[in-house]
Amino acid sequence: MTEDSQRNFRSVYYEKVGFRGVEEKKSLEILLKDDRLDIEKLCTFSQRFPLPSMYRALVWKVLLGILPPHHESHAQVMMYRKEQYSDVLHALRVVRFVSDATPQVEVYLRMYQLESGKLPRSPSFPREPEDEVFLAIAKAMEEMVEDSVDCYWIIRCFVNQLNSKYRDSLPQLPKAFEQYLNLEDSRLLSHLKTCSAVSKLPYDLWFKRCFAGCLPESSLQRVWDKVVSGSCKILVFVAVEILLTFKIKVMALNSAEKITKFLENIPQDSSDAIVSKAIDLWHKHCGTPVHSA
Amino acid sequence: MAQQANIGDLLSMLDSPVLSVRDDVTAVFKENLTSDRGPVLVNTLVDYYLETSSQPVLHILTTLQEPHDKHLLDKMNEYVGKAASRLSTLSLLGHVIRLQPSWKHKLSQAPLLPSLLKCLKTDTDVLVLTTGVLVLITMLPMIPQSGKQHLHDFFDIFGRLSSWCLKKPGHVTEVYLVHLHASVYALFHRLYGMYPCNFVSFLRSHYSMKENLETFEEVVKPMMEHVRIHPELVTGSKDHELDPRRWRRLETHDVVIECAKISLDPTEASYEDGYSVSHQISARFPHRSADVTASPHVDTQNSYGSATSTPHSISRLTLSNTPGQLPQTLSSPPTRLLTEPPQATLWSPSMVCGMTTPPTSPGNVPPDLSHPYSKVFGTTGGKGTPLGTPATSPPPAPLCHSDEYVHISLPQATTTPAKKEERTDSARPWLHRQHHLPNDRGPEELPGSKGSVTLSDLPGFLGDLASEEDSIEKDKEEAAISKELSEITTADAELLVPRGGFDSPFYRDSLPGCPRKTHSAASGPQGTSANPEPLNSSLDKLGPDTPKQAFTPIDLPCGGSEEGPVGNRGRQASLETSILTPSPCKIPPPRGAGFGSGQPPPYDHLFEVALPKTAHHFVSKKTEELLKKAKGNAEEDSWPSTSPVEVLDRLIQQGADAHSKELNKLSLPSKSVDWTHFGDEIRTLRNQLLLLHNQLLYERFKRQQHAVRNRRLLRKVIKAAALEEHNAAMKDQLKLQEKDIQIWKVSLQKEQARYSQLQEQRDTVVTQLHSQIRQLQHDREEFYNQSQELQTKLEDCRNMIAELRLELKKASSKVCHTELLLSQVSQKLSNSESVQQQMEFLNRQLLVLGEVNELYLEQLQNKHSDTTKEVEMMKAAYRKELEKNRSHVLQQNQRLDTSQKRILELESHLAKKDHLLLEQKKYLEDVKLQARGQLQAAESRYEAQKRITQAFELEILDLYGRLEKDGLLKKLEEEKTEAAEAAEERPDCCNDGCSDSVIGHNEEASGHNGETKPPRPGSTRGSSGSRGGGGSSSSSELSTPEKPPNQRAGPFSSRWETAVGEPSTSIPTTVGSLPSSKSFLGMKARELFRNKSESQCDEDSMTISSLSETLKTELGKDSGVEAKTPLNLDGPYPSPPNPDSVGQLHIMDYNETHHEHS
Repeated sequence: MTEDSQRNFRSVYYEKVGFRGVEEKKSLEILLKDDRLDIEKLCTFSQRFPLPSMYRALVWKVLLGILPPHHESHAQVMMYRKEQYSDVLHALRVVRFVSDATPQVEVYLRMYQLESGKLPRSPSFPREPEDEVFLAIAKAMEEMVEDSVDCYWIIRCFVNQLNSKYRDSLPQLPKAFEQYLNLEDSRLLSHLKTCSAVSKLPYDLWFKRCFAGCLPESSLQRVWDKVVSGSCKILVFVAVEILLTFKIKVMALNSAEKITKFLENIPQDSSDAIVSKAIDLWHKHCGTPVHSA
Repeated sequence: MAQQANIGDLLSMLDSPVLSVRDDVTAVFKENLTSDRGPVLVNTLVDYYLETSSQPVLHILTTLQEPHDKHLLDKMNEYVGKAASRLSTLSLLGHVIRLQPSWKHKLSQAPLLPSLLKCLKTDTDVLVLTTGVLVLITMLPMIPQSGKQHLHDFFDIFGRLSSWCLKKPGHVTEVYLVHLHASVYALFHRLYGMYPCNFVSFLRSHYSMKENLETFEEVVKPMMEHVRIHPELVTGSKDHELDPRRWRRLETHDVVIECAKISLDPTEASYEDGYSVSHQISARFPHRSADVTASPHVDTQNSYGSATSTPHSISRLTLSNTPGQLPQTLSSPPTRLLTEPPQATLWSPSMVCGMTTPPTSPGNVPPDLSHPYSKVFGTTGGKGTPLGTPATSPPPAPLCHSDEYVHISLPQATTTPAKKEERTDSARPWLHRQHHLPNDRGPEELPGSKGSVTLSDLPGFLGDLASEEDSIEKDKEEAAISKELSEITTADAELLVPRGGFDSPFYRDSLPGCPRKTHSAASGPQGTSANPEPLNSSLDKLGPDTPKQAFTPIDLPCGGSEEGPVGNRGRQASLETSILTPSPCKIPPPRGAGFGSGQPPPYDHLFEVALPKTAHHFVSKKTEELLKKAKGNAEEDSWPSTSPVEVLDRLIQQGADAHSKELNKLSLPSKSVDWTHFGDEIRTLRNQLLLLHNQLLYERFKRQQHAVRNRRLLRKVIKAAALEEHNAAMKDQLKLQEKDIQIWKVSLQKEQARYSQLQEQRDTVVTQLHSQIRQLQHDREEFYNQSQELQTKLEDCRNMIAELRLELKKASSKVCHTELLLSQVSQKLSNSESVQQQMEFLNRQLLVLGEVNELYLEQLQNKHSDTTKEVEMMKAAYRKELEKNRSHVLQQNQRLDTSQKRILELESHLAKKDHLLLEQKKYLEDVKLQARGQLQAAESRYEAQKRITQAFELEILDLYGRLEKDGLLKKLEEEKTEAAEAAEERPDCCNDGCSDSVIGHNEEASGHNGETKPPRPGSTRGSSGSRGGGGSSSSSELSTPEKPPNQRAGPFSSRWETAVGEPSTSIPTTVGSLPSSKSFLGMKARELFRNKSESQCDEDSMTISSLSETLKTELGKDSGVEAKTPLNLDGPYPSPPNPDSVGQLHIMDYNETHHEHS
């Protein structure tokens, strides 16, 4: 650990006292200083610690492959990305899929559709469920990332990652959810089962949209840190933690519809705590990712 | 009824003369009373008693127990209401009450009390009144708290009866009134003693009224003269008097004594608590002070007298000791007895207890009495009167002896009455003696220096105090004594009647009195007669006789035999003294004179001074008696100061006289026969007797109270004695303990001495040890110093050792070194030896070889002398050759070295190169990665572009689709019009366009759109572009206005050029030289398409070539240029074709030709 030598000697105490993120920022900066960024290390870091918001976009871009690991080519590559963005946007304008009045999220959708060759024949065609997922994610991402080019690219790569990398693991998540819920609170699970709500839980919202629209962006980005860095299991634990947090209310509800309805519109005030607990839970069950240096 | 009868029988049996029967019946009654609670028996008993006044019944009634008291009281209440039975009931009540039954407290609540009071207020019978009043007086101390309710009744009764005494309502006989007066006087004392404030206020209010004033003056005032001021008048209040808390502490006898205390009447008074003392002091003190101031000489004489009296007193003491009464008190303070012998002689329990009872008043006199005695002795002794000593000294001894004797001889049960008697008796002699002794004293003092002064001064000195009271007090006191005497006599008389007089002290006295009688007989002739008789006789004589005789008769009854000699002696002494000393104050003459004139004799003061009370008392009594006799009974009441009791006494005396006379006169039988004759008289006498009886009973009651008190005092005495005993024991113990302490102290001193000795020893030892210690310490110091020195030495030694060791080390190292050297040397030596050996060996060899060489040389010289040249030549050649080879080898070696070095160098180079190569590779990899990243971005861009173009294409196709639709509609219309023309060209058209109808249609459509001129036939796929270009050129030829937009479209997007240009160039792929020479575009395109598949290329080219016509790109422009050439004549641009275009043209041509050829 090269960064250990440069670390503050108080770091141990910071962690003991409960301050997080004091040293993480520094170590992240050290990581980012390397030429030819070490993607592996960045992945481990973002899984272990929450990312500082000022580096979040950069790290995500690097992790999602929008930016190459070399600093030298960043500018050029970014220029390419920008051009591509403006070209696609232009094209869409030319073919009149997009106008100035079109909402940014839809613009992103059209661009994605265009790039993936799925542009419908007419803008008035009805949207596919995939598009809805995209829109939800884009909406959340729009809040997190300021620059529209970055935003588009991150959305695009995020969705691509979901569709490619997690294609196989996402359908397994409901089962894992049941398993962990059983471990944490079997009574709640049995209650859900008696209500036959297990199959009707909002899995789409949770796992396909990655809680976009379910949690506020400030909390969501911490979840997505983990998702971006390659772990989709965190979604399961967030779901479990949501149920545990609202256990009393859920227990009070008896019909599957009501439970689903409630879970789709959970109150947002305790989301930060939920996410923190979920991350702890995740660390507890899957172990803290160790830096593979 | 049977029971009633039975009771009647029993009652009758009660009075049976048989004692046993009487006792049995009494027991039966008592049993009945205990078992039966009903009133019947009590009622019957009361009835029976009232009828018969039987003594046993009275006994039973007086001892009734608690539950029957109510019946008894009720019954009595009932009878009190009836006038007939009132008197007997009251007497019964008196009997009952005097015994102080346990239920006496209930009297205050009983209805009997109000009815008694009522009867006292209303009744007019003096007998009843007197009895009732006496009962009431007896009752009052028992129920003091009831005063609250009945106080005014009491007062009213007092007021009524006091007025009665004066007014004499009805036909009451004077005799009765005397009794009544006495009882009223007693009531007065009682009320004043118990409720002074209330009583005084009552008197104040009652006698402030005019009609009562006389009564007050006549009756009450004289009574008041006999009482002192009650202390309660000062400290108490009306309410406080009635407070039950005040009475709760006091018992009946306490109340009685309280009342007696405030009385000045000697018959009533009780000289307790120093009242009498103060009374005496008031009279005596001035005398004393006068005595002391006037004649200190007397005092010395007094002391002398007392000193001289000691043998006498001791003798008396011994006498008194022998009886053994309270010997400890007498023996323990013998010293006191020596100094104050008379006190011992007059010992009384009250003295020891510190309490004063009536007899103590004379007890205070003795100190004075001692003087008379001593003086008597002194005078008798000093002046040698032979008669005095023998006469005076013996009598006190028997007197006291007898006194004590009486005390002892009387058993406890009968002590109380006896004591009382004896007290008075014992007091009496002193009184008499005192009475006489001043007479002695007077003459005795006369010879003294200031005798005349005292005599003349004393009367004046004391005149103020005494003169006023002289006559009164004298009378009073005389009366008191005479009353007492009369009481005794009456008691005797009465006792003889009801009880037989067995418990009378006189009866007792008469027995021990027998020896005295002899004694008294010797002194006086009266003593021989029996007790009552001398009294009577003396009384008889008293009346009319001379005053001289008055001494003896009075002395005799009271003192009995004892007084006789004293009186005689006193008289003798006085007579003697009077004879011896011609004093003007002789007793008999002045007395006689005083008597005659009615004035007190001048020396009477002396009596008062010397004997303030008793003398006064005596003298006054005498005078009063005489006066009374002179003036008669009628004047009795006119004497206001005369106590009613005295009057009563006198009456009794008279009565007794009369009675005795009567008795003497009358024979018994005649008396019994003729009683009707004297019926009236007898009745009055009976009544008087009854009254007297009542009085007696009342007095007895008082006496009992005194007895109770005395018993209590005696108990206290015993206690005190016990305490003193205890004290003595304690003192003994104390002494013992003190002795012990002494012993302990001695032993302590011893121990201390031993201790100090030990301490000294220890000190010496300690000092020795200290010196030893000091020495040892000194030694230690020395040793310490030595050790220090030794240590420094040791240090030095150590240092030396260290140095030596160092040296040793050095030496050893040297030794080692030398050893090494030695070994080396030895090695060398051995080497040299071996070398020597070798040398020797070699030398030997050399020698051998030299010999051999010589041998060989000899042989050689012998054999080969000819071949030497040849051999030498060969040797030389051989040597040269060897050298040559050797240098060659050297050379070779050198070369080898260099080459090896070279190899090394090269190898290092190689390694460096490899490293570099690796780095390069890494770098390359890095760069590749970087490039790949960029490339990926670019690729994605490209992809995007592709998608864009696709989108565009799609859009365009869409648009085209729409356009064609429109065109088709138009064409159908045109076809109708130009059917013929279309029909001619149709076959070609069909032939050409059959491959792709759509394209063909498009072409046609475009052709139709662009121009009306029909397209050239024989257009193939390959030439279609050129043809299109031709077409377009032609069209451009025709429609010039279209040209500028097309040209403008050329530069419109250079990017498009590449994309569009590709297919155009890709068509002639077979022509390899074309693109390379053509332009940068071409190169780029080729680069790009290096990896592309052919089919894709074709596909693209096909689609794009078809598009090329419509887009009017460079190709079109080229074709336009080409087409211009023929039109140069007409066209405004006669410009020579540039090489590029020529090339293009060539290709075009070639293509055309090629197509045409194919």
